[in-house]
Amino acid sequence: MKKIILSLFLISNLYAELVLEITESSENPYKIAVHDFEGAGNLSKIISKVIKDDLLRTGEFNVLGSEDLLSNINDIEKINFKNYRLLGIDFILLGTVKIEDKINITVSYDIYDAVKEKKVRSSKVYGIPNKTRQLAHYVSDGVYEEITDLRGIASTKILYVNEIKARSRQVFKLMLSDSDGMNEQTLLSSDSPIISPTWSPDSQNVAYVSFETGMAKVFIQNIATGSRKIALENNYQISSPSFSPDGKYLSLTLYQDGNAEIYILDLSNKNLTRLTNHYSIDTESSWSPDGKKILFTSGRSGSPQLYEIDLLKFNSKPKRLTFDGNYNAKASYLPNNEGIIFVHRTGSEFQIALKYFNENFSRPLTQSRLDESPCISPNGNVIVYAIKDDEQGLLAGVTLSGAKFKLPASSGEVREPAWSGFLR
Amino acid sequence: MKKLVFNKNIVFFSFVLFVVSCSTTNVTEEAVYDSVVSSVEVSVQDNAVSASEEYSSKPIMANAVVYFDFDKYSLTSKSIQTLRSIVEVMNDNTDIEISISGHADERGTREYNLALGQRRGEAVRDYLMLNGISKKRISVKSFGEEYPLVKGSNEASWAKNRRAEIN
Repeated sequence: MKKIILSLFLISNLYAELVLEITESSENPYKIAVHDFEGAGNLSKIISKVIKDDLLRTGEFNVLGSEDLLSNINDIEKINFKNYRLLGIDFILLGTVKIEDKINITVSYDIYDAVKEKKVRSSKVYGIPNKTRQLAHYVSDGVYEEITDLRGIASTKILYVNEIKARSRQVFKLMLSDSDGMNEQTLLSSDSPIISPTWSPDSQNVAYVSFETGMAKVFIQNIATGSRKIALENNYQISSPSFSPDGKYLSLTLYQDGNAEIYILDLSNKNLTRLTNHYSIDTESSWSPDGKKILFTSGRSGSPQLYEIDLLKFNSKPKRLTFDGNYNAKASYLPNNEGIIFVHRTGSEFQIALKYFNENFSRPLTQSRLDESPCISPNGNVIVYAIKDDEQGLLAGVTLSGAKFKLPASSGEVREPAWSGFLR
Repeated sequence: MKKLVFNKNIVFFSFVLFVVSCSTTNVTEEAVYDSVVSSVEVSVQDNAVSASEEYSSKPIMANAVVYFDFDKYSLTSKSIQTLRSIVEVMNDNTDIEISISGHADERGTREYNLALGQRRGEAVRDYLMLNGISKKRISVKSFGEEYPLVKGSNEASWAKNRRAEIN
């Protein structure tokens, strides 16, 4: 088994460290040669590094850097494709970084197919100096989409909760970072717990549960302006928000009669529609990508299990989806609607599992003891989830091709990740 | 293929100038989009006070903690003994109103644990009501696994955190 550990230090965030630990990669990864980008001195080194790490983290690439290659390319016209093929290389990435002026940077890159011996892509990305990493992520996504025909997720963002113990008090923060855990920004800082953050489909707003009023309440906050409002004013506890794919509705868990039941809130007129009605717990609702179904956790069978409600059929009975394992909860659909990911327990270990609708068993994807809160990338290829490592909460990732990695913990505990939609 | 996003708060517009697939090479140009992020700070004079802080403020106390088994909200015989004394105190002091907060250990999902904590609180309220205490004197809420009494990923800590606090 191959084990590559890479550490990456960021200029603007000194204590953040990305640990990329690829324990397995896909069976037949693309092999790509990434030559250090030319120009702009140190900046091009940073950009090259970010691109290589992005490609590695997909689990679908075997990356060779300049240090692994025999020579640097000085004359693009004279690429000796044969030499690359001898190393088993499928693609070659070459790029140039150009600082136009104080506020403009241009990265140009070309992708060559070593087998067909031709240039397959020639691209330019324009950015600004303090968003260098995002610029590099755009290049990675361009490379990824050119080679795999799938949209890349290096330029997407992740939302999560960070708990920090400062002196005698605790601080709970709702954080936003790049998909590699870098470039952290605070959306909300509070002295009360925050749970269940989630994105609006346009990735402009977030919803979450805050205990700041003394009980669980759902808030909606605009990322750019910071303006926030309570989703529904009443005296009950409200939790577990999930936006419908069209952004018009928010499914919620309401404790109106003491018990947790799922409702759908029409965001335009605040009308509530009750979805579940059972004396046991019903919570953790999540919409199917087509908006026609809602997945949720229910204790109606005696242990937490996953159920699905068809929204198009009036009064339809929830359909049970999980039968193996003694705890199946917090599920969400794969973006292609072919299955679900969720927290799964067999014995006493909580793991992240995947179940395809055309299979009658769950596939565990992780191996630690207290894994929770799985969220899937918008292209459906990577799952980020929360783990307990030596009693410390942090985020880890697993790709469907089997690569595993950990995201940096700046300080304190990190948990409850939620993946944005495509931003590029 | 790409969506044009207009927002006054956005530093850069995301746009693709052109995507041309000339016979062999795919040529693209794009600008990095990154929205401004505003940070909000909330500091409440802690409404969600932990049990210990509220104890001292009440002249006559009806407070206790009862414990539960994993993923269960049924009362144990030991819990019932504790609750009997609460019933007595509340019967003797009819002006006492109590608030019950249900809690869970760290295992399992946060939202399910929030619902479970609520069930634990409700179980305590149901017992008190069965023993003649008016529903009006009891409020119930849940904090799920968010306010553990004891830190640590082991059975001893978990057992102390699966609780309902009465105060």
